[in-house]
Amino acid sequence: QNLKCVTHNLRKMICTWDVSSKGRRGQTDFCYTTNDLSPPVCFKTKEKRVEIPVPESSTTLTITTNGISGTAFATKEFEIHKKDISFVPLTPRILSLTPDFSTSTLNLKWSDNGSIFPYGLDAFWQIQILRKEAMEKVTQVTYYSKLTHEDIILSWNWTSDMPLECTSHYVKIRCYFNVTQFVGPKDWSDWSPVEEVPGKDTEPNGSGVFPQDTVVAVGSDVTICCVHEEGQQIQRMTYGSEIYPMIHLSSRSSAIRVLNASASDTSGTNVVCILSEDGMDGTVLFVGYAPDIPQNLSCETSNFLVIKCTWKPGRPSGLYGKRRTNYSLFERISGKNVSCEINEMNRERVCGFPVLADQKTYDFILGVSNPIGQTESSLLVDLTQRVHPKTPEKLTVSGNSSTSVHLRWFINGSFAEIRLLCQIEISGGHYERKLHNVSMPGGKFSTYTAQLNALHPYTKYQLRVRCSAADHFWRWSGWSRIEEHTTLEA
Amino acid sequence: MAAADSPSAALRRRDLCSRGIRLAGKMRSDVIDLLDTYVERQGLDASASVVAVEGVPAAAAERWDKQTGTQRLLDNLAAYRAFRALLAQMLEEQREQLGEADAALGQALAAVLLQVSAFAYHLEELLRLESRGPPSEEGAGPPPLPHLGLFERKLRGLGVLRELAQWAVRSARDLRQLAKPGPGSSSAPSPAESP
Repeated sequence: QNLKCVTHNLRKMICTWDVSSKGRRGQTDFCYTTNDLSPPVCFKTKEKRVEIPVPESSTTLTITTNGISGTAFATKEFEIHKKDISFVPLTPRILSLTPDFSTSTLNLKWSDNGSIFPYGLDAFWQIQILRKEAMEKVTQVTYYSKLTHEDIILSWNWTSDMPLECTSHYVKIRCYFNVTQFVGPKDWSDWSPVEEVPGKDTEPNGSGVFPQDTVVAVGSDVTICCVHEEGQQIQRMTYGSEIYPMIHLSSRSSAIRVLNASASDTSGTNVVCILSEDGMDGTVLFVGYAPDIPQNLSCETSNFLVIKCTWKPGRPSGLYGKRRTNYSLFERISGKNVSCEINEMNRERVCGFPVLADQKTYDFILGVSNPIGQTESSLLVDLTQRVHPKTPEKLTVSGNSSTSVHLRWFINGSFAEIRLLCQIEISGGHYERKLHNVSMPGGKFSTYTAQLNALHPYTKYQLRVRCSAADHFWRWSGWSRIEEHTTLEA
Repeated sequence: MAAADSPSAALRRRDLCSRGIRLAGKMRSDVIDLLDTYVERQGLDASASVVAVEGVPAAAAERWDKQTGTQRLLDNLAAYRAFRALLAQMLEEQREQLGEADAALGQALAAVLLQVSAFAYHLEELLRLESRGPPSEEGAGPPPLPHLGLFERKLRGLGVLRELAQWAVRSARDLRQLAKPGPGSSSAPSPAESP
């Protein structure tokens, strides 16, 4: 009775049957037909189970049950059609379940056993995650793949909403192959045996509060657990100054769930686990922002030795010290990368990049990253169009004439590649303030000179100078100090 | 131990003791202020109980009144050398964890560290008067920083500062004992005085 035939690989099938329990049974004679032409294949078996080929279309099974003495007891014939055979894939075998505690991620690897199936079959894998002492189901996911007539190792990641240390996590998997040309019923395989990632609450010295000193984004929902010794009780768990309701995970582990975490103070938010017998344990959570895209990125040079880039950092990340936001300047053409020394406390952000020999154009990427995220800003500049000279120094005004003066000044920097435009402001005499523009070839750490004529005799003048790039104006330097000079009498 | 003090040595010791007492008093008030800042900036509960911090010498001395003057100085010096190392560790951690974000706390820590160093030097001066001189510091480096989570480090810092505040009180009392005109040898036990 109840003859059932199941195939796991579409080629062989396993038929099982029941026998009424009256009297003691001996061996069974089993015959099956392969096709209409050849004689049936027969053999004896003690089992109520045989493995025979899956028929092309149908097969006739003859089962003769014998008594202990070997005399035939009962014979039954079954006509098995392809539609009567069920297809149930073999139980998948988990190759590895690897935890990454730093990211609370489980990596599952298993073989799809595809080599025994035709190419291109649609395969569905149901993966179940269970947790806690009571092995409660956390989630069930269906993963899809295609069989390729080879044994492929499939890999899947799952990130837990709580640190893996908090309690043991378990994974099991089953599969379903959509063999469209198979006419019989198709079903899911059995579940694989459970694979376990033990939590710290199973280790003798596993106590602690987890995650340990981690960084999360503002607005995150965070689960924090307290693993303690057997026999200890948690009296309360606080997040910052607030007591939170506890979630029981196991006899040695409870958790709290912080929703929509707000930005923490500079030293982080303490999560404290107050235990019986004056015990206390804790961790620190740093809640901050991913870096903002740098605004108004601008680069210039004041001396053709160093390029100074500045930008507005946007919203502060709220993370400091070794969790602070780091900046680096990468120049695509030269491939050179510079990491920037930034003081988080002052608003202005500055980073220096060396001027490279024989390179006029710079394709900058300002990379910004902190433990929560990263972003970047880019800028393409022609350096000769971004010259912002330093303030002229050592201005001297001389002249032994009643109508002209001679000016000399020094600019710190190497401007040999460009022409300079300098503006001389003169006040005194009859005019309040007059500007004279003079342009000259740039020099290397040079002193520059100019002469002003048509002045009034015996008159006291105040003069100062500033400079910029002549051909591609970018920004004026600062004004030099004012120098006074009185022209000679006529 | 030193022969009977010459009048100038006794005068010198009394001067050092009284200056030491003032230093200890100032240090104590600064440590108390620092404790308040530390608790607030580290988000701690002021009443948090902290187990004894390894590497921090306990201020409560058994049979305090039976101690010789030299013993007092040696205990004090050992304590402040340990505190100097521990505070330097705390300052380093502070910079690593917060960078420039909490300059106020960093400066307060650095100020107390300076005072502790000054007080240790002061004690060395007193021991030089004992003509035995202070013990060398070789091998007396800071205890290796056990691998602690940040919260435990915060608690450890709290423990260090609390114990330092206690020591400042004890040091003042020790120096008062030393300053008393005794039988001349500071290695003789001091007249009983309740701690």
